[in-house]
Amino acid sequence: MTTPTAEPLDTYTLNMGPQHPSTHGVLRLKLTLQGERIMGVEPVIGYSHRAHEKMAENRSYAQFLPNTSRQDYLSGLIYNVAWVEAVEKLAGIAVPERALVARVILSEFNRLSSHLLWIGAFLMDLGAATPFLYAFDDREAILSLLESVTGSRLTYATARFGGLSRDLDADFPRRAREVLVRLKARRQEFEDLIEDNVIFRQRTQGVGVFTLDQCRAWGVTGPPLRASGVPYDIRKAEPYGAYPRYEFEIPTRPEGDVFARYMVRVAEMVQSVRIIEQALDGLPDGPVLTEGSIGVKKRLKPPAGTLYYAVESARGAYGIILVSEGGSEPYRAKFRTPSYANLGVMYDVLPGTMVADAVAILGSVDLVMPEVDR
Amino acid sequence: MSGVTESRWVGPAGLVAAAEAARAAGFFFESMTCVDRLDPHGVFELLYTFNRWDEAARFAVRVWAPKDEALPSLSGVYGIAAWNEREAWEFYGVRFANHPNLTWLLLPEDTEFHPLLKSFTAPPPSIYDDSMNPSAPPADAGAHDDAHG
Repeated sequence: MTTPTAEPLDTYTLNMGPQHPSTHGVLRLKLTLQGERIMGVEPVIGYSHRAHEKMAENRSYAQFLPNTSRQDYLSGLIYNVAWVEAVEKLAGIAVPERALVARVILSEFNRLSSHLLWIGAFLMDLGAATPFLYAFDDREAILSLLESVTGSRLTYATARFGGLSRDLDADFPRRAREVLVRLKARRQEFEDLIEDNVIFRQRTQGVGVFTLDQCRAWGVTGPPLRASGVPYDIRKAEPYGAYPRYEFEIPTRPEGDVFARYMVRVAEMVQSVRIIEQALDGLPDGPVLTEGSIGVKKRLKPPAGTLYYAVESARGAYGIILVSEGGSEPYRAKFRTPSYANLGVMYDVLPGTMVADAVAILGSVDLVMPEVDR
Repeated sequence: MSGVTESRWVGPAGLVAAAEAARAAGFFFESMTCVDRLDPHGVFELLYTFNRWDEAARFAVRVWAPKDEALPSLSGVYGIAAWNEREAWEFYGVRFANHPNLTWLLLPEDTEFHPLLKSFTAPPPSIYDDSMNPSAPPADAGAHDDAHG
């Protein structure tokens, strides 16, 4: 009789993606494995590269508007507003009060819809199919609301230099509040359905911890950073638009694991609802586009200069670096996208974990690949 | 430049020291932008930004990199710099010394042009582009300039 001897496990390479369902887009991870343990990782990106930065250089500032929301298609309205506000700052264009407040309302609704999709898709990655249906049901209500104002459901191009393309109609506040009431009622259901679920907790607690040092080296921002205990949010750190007027908190969790990232996003949704309620209460009257302002058909020529403009997207700190030489087209536009950094940190986080945990960890940072690839 | 708290020009030799100082002071790596200044200056401008979580303190470090001169890589100081430098290389042709893996990041492997250079106008006909009929290439294939529509 022979006793089984523990032979050293072979090291082999596994391609996760580019069509793996849990990568949410075309991301390929070259995993070096020993058994089911990850020894090394090499993300391969660029599959959805569309040269947004080159496109920005050979069209006018207004012609680039449709590109903006196609970088992060899940919170595209925030990106659309970011581009417009960056150009407004560079060119010194004034924006009416009503447009500033409306931008906050629409952006926060967009953030809510993005987080809802994430909850659904992330729980689906972990094997829970039901939350997906709840989340999409609520998201649908938000998309219909945004569609009624912007005409789009996903790739918004509603902001204009000097305001918005369309005004909020008289009935909008009522419909918006209806959606908020629905979302608030759903909060308890999510808690019962997800947070108290034993399987969910075991798959997420203590898994994929991001240390502060890793966050610094890779530039992690957004919910993954706040889940590691850092209250960093551009809406507070560099207040823009109408955000300084509203009271809200930056939810954080000390653990830094997958569960903390879930909890931070859910708490953030509560804060978004809070911001929208205050904005609806104080929605000023008046025009949403400055009289005689720069329409899309006019040539806009901002003065020469370099500008960094940052906003908080649903995924973290989004930055636009805009270089103008005084022409009607940007000389250079660089987009600092949060998912890019939040994916990079995987070099440090994934080694040592199991393949099954990799799915949970990747899902928890909420990657949008077109934003990584631009 | 606007949107930053402090901006400093350094020489290529001072780049690593500046990044190490930022890292030691608790800054995170925020972004890196390459700008084509070949005409008329014959250099690339590299704009790095570092930022803090506890206060608004965006710190910009700007470098003028002469065209055929390799810059020091910051990948040993900040991990994410490695990806940013790969982008600067594939889109502009900027070289980095001591880079662990200076290869294509976003563009297809073996891309033979640097598309964000101002001198670059139109891509050569692509083998991946089905819209081009190889049996009947347009008379001006490869020579058209549609950069400004």
